[in-house]
Amino acid sequence: MSMIRRLLALDGVNVVCHFRDDGYLVEGYGLMSHNDMSRLAQFARDYRRIAQGNADQLAMFSGMRGWTPPHGWIIRGARQSVCGIANLVCIVDSFGAPLNEILMELREVSHW
Amino acid sequence: MTTLDDLMKLPGAMAAFEFRGGGELLEHRIAYPDRINQSILDLLAHMCAANLSIATMQARGWEKMTGMEGFYPIQEFTLIGFDWSVVVSGLLREQHKQAGKFSLPPLMGVVMANEKADYEAAFAILERKEPVQ
Repeated sequence: MSMIRRLLALDGVNVVCHFRDDGYLVEGYGLMSHNDMSRLAQFARDYRRIAQGNADQLAMFSGMRGWTPPHGWIIRGARQSVCGIANLVCIVDSFGAPLNEILMELREVSHW
Repeated sequence: MTTLDDLMKLPGAMAAFEFRGGGELLEHRIAYPDRINQSILDLLAHMCAANLSIATMQARGWEKMTGMEGFYPIQEFTLIGFDWSVVVSGLLREQHKQAGKFSLPPLMGVVMANEKADYEAAFAILERKEPVQ
């Protein structure tokens, strides 16, 4: 079984994707077409770069250590949320999903 | 007891703050002034306001392109930095907008140390229902 596929076993996780540094989809699982998973991977890669750039600038302007390099980001929508950690991204239910546990798992799996 | 005070009770909370949609810092609380100050919070608030706007654009685009729903409106944005995380919410503001109010409340956020951060608890406080007046 793929290492990232086990994330789908967590409550509220609907889609999980692993992408390369250039945004190419390596593998993806869940309730989404392959085309949309490819788009999600590209979006996650772009957003990761935005978050990285923002953290870098915040650190540079403020002189505060501890922001960069960032581990990830969460965009929480009305019913669906998107979480990105390293080269992994997943779509989870905004309510009822054990977000702390999901983030811990994402972080652990991202090291494999 | 205000929401900012409740946010400061979260495990690892370093600061809690309110800011305008344009990012200008309003009221705030700081637990460790040697680590984070008003000037840093002001920069952070501007960064978070920008990210909420970017995320909103992406949510609208994503829903239109894929036909998936449930992303818009964006309620919260979280950046998980190397040691610190920031969680900001525009939910209360969104509720006022949807109620047709012209005067909108500020956005709110909290800075937490990653090793103790409880994101679910932060969201629970930031999403607490308050009557729209």
